[in-house]
Amino acid sequence: MWRKITLFGLALIVALGAFVQVQSFQDTLQGSIPAIEGNSIGTWDEVLELARGGEVNWWMWGGSDSINQFVNTFYGGPLAEEFGVSFNQVQLADTVDAINQVLSESEAGVNSGGAVDLIWINGENFKTLKQADLLYGPWAEGIPNSRFVDWSNPALNRDFGLPVEGFESPWSGAQFQFVYDTARTAEEDLPRSFADLEAFAAANPGTFTYIAPGPGAFQGTRFVKQVLFEISGGQEQWVGDFNQELWDQWSPELWARLNALEANLFREGSTYPADVNELNQLFSNGEIDFTLTQAIAGASPGIASGDLPETAKAFVWSNNMIGDFNYVAIPFNAANKASALVLSNLILRPDRQALQVIPENGFGLGFAINTNLVDPADRAVLELAVNDLGSGAADPDELGASLVSDIVAEYQTLIEQGWEQNVLQN
Amino acid sequence: MFWERFRIPLMLAPTLFVIIALFMGGLIYGLLQSLGWQPIIDNYDINLDAYANVMFSERYANEFWQGLALTLWVSLASTFFTSAIAIIGALLLRESFFGKKVASFLFQLNLPIPPIVIGIGMLFLFSQSGLISRIGGSLDLIERSRDFPILVKDHLGIGIIMAYVWKEVPFIGVIVLAVLQSLGADFEDVARSLGANRWQRFRHVILPLVMPGVMSGSIIVFAFTFGSFEVPALLGVSFPRVLPVMAVRFFRNPDLNSRVEGTAVAMIVALIALLLVLAYMWVSRRAVRQE
Amino acid sequence: MASASQSKKPQKLPGDKPSWLWPLFRTSVLGFILFMLSFPIIAFFINAFAFRWFYPQLFPKNLSMDAWENIFNPASGVDLWGALSTSLFIAVTVTLVSLIIGMPTARALGMYKFKGKRIVEFLILAPIIVPGIAYVVGLNINFLQLGLASSVFGVMLVHLIPVMPYVVLTLSGVFANYNADFELQARTLGAGPIATFYHVTLPAIFPGLVVSGLFAFLVSWSQYILTLLIGGGKVQTIPLLVFTAATSGNNARAAAISLVFIAPAVLILILTSRFLSGRSGAIGGLGKV
Repeated sequence: MWRKITLFGLALIVALGAFVQVQSFQDTLQGSIPAIEGNSIGTWDEVLELARGGEVNWWMWGGSDSINQFVNTFYGGPLAEEFGVSFNQVQLADTVDAINQVLSESEAGVNSGGAVDLIWINGENFKTLKQADLLYGPWAEGIPNSRFVDWSNPALNRDFGLPVEGFESPWSGAQFQFVYDTARTAEEDLPRSFADLEAFAAANPGTFTYIAPGPGAFQGTRFVKQVLFEISGGQEQWVGDFNQELWDQWSPELWARLNALEANLFREGSTYPADVNELNQLFSNGEIDFTLTQAIAGASPGIASGDLPETAKAFVWSNNMIGDFNYVAIPFNAANKASALVLSNLILRPDRQALQVIPENGFGLGFAINTNLVDPADRAVLELAVNDLGSGAADPDELGASLVSDIVAEYQTLIEQGWEQNVLQN
Repeated sequence: MFWERFRIPLMLAPTLFVIIALFMGGLIYGLLQSLGWQPIIDNYDINLDAYANVMFSERYANEFWQGLALTLWVSLASTFFTSAIAIIGALLLRESFFGKKVASFLFQLNLPIPPIVIGIGMLFLFSQSGLISRIGGSLDLIERSRDFPILVKDHLGIGIIMAYVWKEVPFIGVIVLAVLQSLGADFEDVARSLGANRWQRFRHVILPLVMPGVMSGSIIVFAFTFGSFEVPALLGVSFPRVLPVMAVRFFRNPDLNSRVEGTAVAMIVALIALLLVLAYMWVSRRAVRQE
Repeated sequence: MASASQSKKPQKLPGDKPSWLWPLFRTSVLGFILFMLSFPIIAFFINAFAFRWFYPQLFPKNLSMDAWENIFNPASGVDLWGALSTSLFIAVTVTLVSLIIGMPTARALGMYKFKGKRIVEFLILAPIIVPGIAYVVGLNINFLQLGLASSVFGVMLVHLIPVMPYVVLTLSGVFANYNADFELQARTLGAGPIATFYHVTLPAIFPGLVVSGLFAFLVSWSQYILTLLIGGGKVQTIPLLVFTAATSGNNARAAAISLVFIAPAVLILILTSRFLSGRSGAIGGLGKV
């Protein structure tokens, strides 16, 4: 029955697409946008005009086939057809390659015509570029579809605690979840906290591991952060500015608990998976019992792509599951800033936002826009889409109940360095 | 007169241009960067901070020295096993037998296959859920994937060494085959007529003749395995990591300052490789002269 | 040892143990080596057609062409044809250029003695010893300033660095065995330098050129880190796609792209393998580092 409704929803989305296409001529700027190569921007039409006939090079992590397919199909197509912009996805092994490109260009004095037009970005990488003053902006609250974004949400207007200030525009929402195999593990045996997980690992030695925290492996860092929240008695105290005292108080216990866990880990913790793909492979081949995902649709996109068994399903702890948003940003020297703005605006269009959560489309991450800010017709479509996330999705109520926000980037660095020295090399 | 005098320099010029302008240029600029020289931001100070930090600071020293040990072990072991297997294979291939053409082709098969692809192949074959483990499972030799020995992503770098051996055996093998072919069968026939058995002929006739070729081939293999990134990045453990992977991880750190450290590690790798190769050349030339 | 065996007079000429044991031993050792060497290829073929091939299935329950459809589908964001043609264009151009500029150098090194020869030899060998990562980081900044970064031309230039040593080494081995008297005869008979090169030099060194070209092609074809840093994401070659696929966790796709990657190289090996013998002297050049 849900399937039918989804199909109906998709038809609606297509019809809506045509509608939005007509409406897009009435799109108006929501705020000011900095000049592009000396052209000051007064209206959105000027941006569309500058972009038409050009290209956009979107640098992004390319490690997921299904996400690659999603962006090329659902952004590449409309960009060419509706806006006359040719879409070029630059697939990276790691987002930091894009950061390094921009840094090298700036070091070499390449102040215009840079290779990177748009970056899929958040956290540490955003902090690096923003603090080095290497971003174009502020523009994110100026583009027409930013009116659908709830900029007052502190989880959204701060990226790892750093104020966004219009230098990046949201793409999607994500929340940390674990994935288990319903054919192997009974639901009542699932660990619902880190303490549970310790007991589970002790009872089933060798069947759990997590991603090594470090640059480019933020899910591993996030796992450790969640452990920290639990053992220190909650996430609330970590919100806000960096607190060295608090860190010094709890970090020794954090390393002690993780080191104690090591004996029961996969291969006794002598090595850790480098990324989520490696974790997925270990899980799918039955070497470990849990993997993880960031997708609102849980395990469903992985099932659709064949990376995960059909019986995989997401679950969460009862608390401390970090959720956040990810964004797109434009480097200061981007060659095609107008096209990058058009793409950023397209990403926020309600029909595209609805399409991105549907598991079969391969992305499966949550909305960046607030459904209360869109027209009723759009809202219906968005709700239809989010109501059928496939068999692999976690219970939405549990997701909501366990959600906490991320904390300032200083902790990330401390966790990554400290984990290397105290857990990995120990 | 003019032509005669400048003939050789002119013949050398194009290649030396590539080597000096591109290779040496890049190397020197990298060296300056690793010393903290940043003309773009008007920083002309030169210091060894990055080197000291990488080698002796509390944060990196452990990683660096263990990484260096692993790098040395991996490249020396790969070079040794590659040379040994290549010599055996080439010697066996030299005699004529049915199917020699096919055998020679299979022997050379991995020569054109890029290292990264060989690395992926090692994962497919030797990981705990790989093809060989599955064969073991279906023969009831092992009960579950965890019973299969850890051969890739292991602490001794066995997976990395295997990938290099797979990749480089044909390279040294081709060199040995070429040497053997240019020698002809005469030497061996003489030794045989003098009653030397197979082992003696190998040890005292063939080995000394192919050794110079094997040595220079192994220099290339050693240098390659010492400095390459893709295979250990794919088949290594989280800790310790080989130095080239450590260098690339520094580059891939969003923290701006770590780029200087990354360049320093790359320079150390280059310096050690150069010194070891020079020492090896010196020792091996002396050894050859003494034979 | 050697003198001891010489003093013992031979009883029968091929003075070896039972004659059936050796062929058996030889065949099994050789067979094992060859089987192991070609084993990865088999794994690539199985993986490339498998879907959800999880442990402990020995052969995949679900066979699928998904990976192949995916890699050749432009909507996947992987422009495989584009990467294939970029890779081929770069490797072929680099091969030709390196042969043209390497030939005179190799001739000088192979045929003449001159002051500073050892230094020149060592300089040319150096890029083999020093890993790419050490010089490409410095070059990256220079190339960006010169506008050479992110271009196919820049990538070709930087590929020349690791390629040149192989070309010069192999070709100098060829020229070390080369007799220039025939060139002189042709010249005295009235042939111009181009005709002499075409009719006398080229046929004589051709097998060696092929081997040199093979190595040049393979070194350029396999290059990852140089292309990544100089190409700046704009120049997409197959090794870059393979590396991304290898870490993407999708074995079928990694296997399929890998097979596309190795096919041209293996084809070239098939076409040139008969030149990989000692006769041309090219391989001997690699043996004289």
